[in-house]
Amino acid sequence: MPVLGKKFRPPEAFDQAINGYYQLLPSRFVRLDGKRYLLSNDVGEFLVVGRGQLADYIQKKVPKGSDFYHDLKSKCFLVDGDSNVALDLLALKYRTKARRISQFTALHIFVVSLRCDYTCRYCQVSRQTDDKHAFDMSEATADKALGLVFKSPSPTIKIEFQGGEPLLNFSLIRYIVANATAENIRHKKNLQFVITTNLSLLTDEMLSFCSSHGIFLSTSLDGPEQLHNANRPRPGMDGHKLTVEGIKKAQTALGRDKIGALMTTTEKSLPAARAIIDAYLENGLDSIFLRPLSPYGFAVKTRQAYKYDVDRWFEFYKEGLDYILEINRQGHRFVELYTELVVNKLLSPFSTGYVDLQSPSGAGISAIVYNYDGDVYASDEARMLAEMGDKAFRLGNVHDDGYEDIMLSDTLLDMLESTLSESIPMCTDCGFLPYCGTDPVYHHATQGDMVGNKALSGFCGKNMKIFRHVVLLLEDDPEARETLLGWVRP
Amino acid sequence: MGTETAVTFDANVFSLETVKRALYRCSDQSQFDITSEGGAITVTFSAIDPDGLADKIRNEVLDQDLRDTLSKETANVRTLILANAFSDTGLIR
Ligand code: SF4
Repeated sequence: MPVLGKKFRPPEAFDQAINGYYQLLPSRFVRLDGKRYLLSNDVGEFLVVGRGQLADYIQKKVPKGSDFYHDLKSKCFLVDGDSNVALDLLALKYRTKARRISQFTALHIFVVSLRCDYTCRYCQVSRQTDDKHAFDMSEATADKALGLVFKSPSPTIKIEFQGGEPLLNFSLIRYIVANATAENIRHKKNLQFVITTNLSLLTDEMLSFCSSHGIFLSTSLDGPEQLHNANRPRPGMDGHKLTVEGIKKAQTALGRDKIGALMTTTEKSLPAARAIIDAYLENGLDSIFLRPLSPYGFAVKTRQAYKYDVDRWFEFYKEGLDYILEINRQGHRFVELYTELVVNKLLSPFSTGYVDLQSPSGAGISAIVYNYDGDVYASDEARMLAEMGDKAFRLGNVHDDGYEDIMLSDTLLDMLESTLSESIPMCTDCGFLPYCGTDPVYHHATQGDMVGNKALSGFCGKNMKIFRHVVLLLEDDPEARETLLGWVRP
Repeated sequence: MGTETAVTFDANVFSLETVKRALYRCSDQSQFDITSEGGAITVTFSAIDPDGLADKIRNEVLDQDLRDTLSKETANVRTLILANAFSDTGLIR
């Protein structure tokens, strides 16, 4: 009956639908509060529904023609006799989402020196020594590591210099930037450089080098002076002063968009969310990442899940986010980066490259770490764990192993296989799965196995709370919604 | 720790698997003994707030039952979609 065209179906099609005939498409759900659930599918479309609606949907009792039926159909939660287009559409969207897996390893971290001029208590890795040779990366190691960097199929390559304090080995940074830039003429990748530094050793000469190579600086600012210095003791206790001066200098020399700051959250930070954010505003920074307390150190020693601390941290995060939303309402754009990531996960079709929110784990696939001694690790946390004596996530050494040895190492493949959220108990039918990820190093450190029991997991606890909070803000608070939508990348 | 409490489910309505999966989600709150006898699945546990946990378990079992229906009904079509998604990517031959 081509005359009728596709829009017009024979009456039987409607009868079937009225009698409850539709086919469920793969989806999952999770409770949001006492009344509502988030229903999501593999490609990340979601609906917020009541329990009655959820049960009706699954028991195939949703009346055709209702708004709810239309929503379910248009977001690919069901197919009916009218159309199988949803199946093709889902396959296409899934493929777009999965694309990053085949373009892996965009972030390459070079630990150019373990030496540091600070003595932060929570830092597991740095060394106070003048012995350059023991803890600095050599040119030979850098050459080998660069060889691996350009084997990565990712069209974007970000090389991040870390420490210790990387500026203590600035000559090697120059060396790597020059060689990578020269090598890239052939590879034509989108190549970027970042130095993660406390800025205390930053000179004008270094700044002009950064300026001429478009290098981005990422520093640490833990909040107001007292808190910053308590968290980050430096002989002389002038860390805060040096950081703030360094931020100003860098903003002037490189431009405001070329310097960002990260904070480390400690016990002392928890009551100070607003003061920390004010410190960021005062220093002309336009974003903050309210990071969770790091489990490394404590957890490794005690193998305790960090549930208790998650609750306290979440109060800190919520207070901070409320304040940030208020700042935005007053017309000043200021972004909380983890929330921005979650909002983009929820509302943008593009897969974000953030290591912790990926399945399979982003470790190795999105980021890889070359330690000062040539050892290769799947993530920065994996390297910290190794410095504390646990080398479970060491993938090889640049001097002994080739690209294939490292990327196909049993350590990495086991890790990827066991961290596919789709097959992890609890994640497998959690509505947040399309936006969540896995953190094998965290679960190894806190529970002794890479997968972990998610009911006991601080990683899961934190993400559940944040996802719930963000979804409910989007649903219930029109002003917050407007701000959050402004954070979605086009 | 706390009072020992039992919650019972009709085995004709809920499968043992469903109950087990629901309890997994509560495994941060207590440890559970499960017995299945004479058409009843009984879950025993101790908790400081036994009524609160019993309510949570009942809710989780109801949710899990829906989850199990959903995943059983959609297992085939999920495989189909994935096969289609990767059909000409060179990942599946
Ligand atoms: S880790 Fe937790 S929040 Fe994330 S998908 Fe798994 S169960 Fe859901």
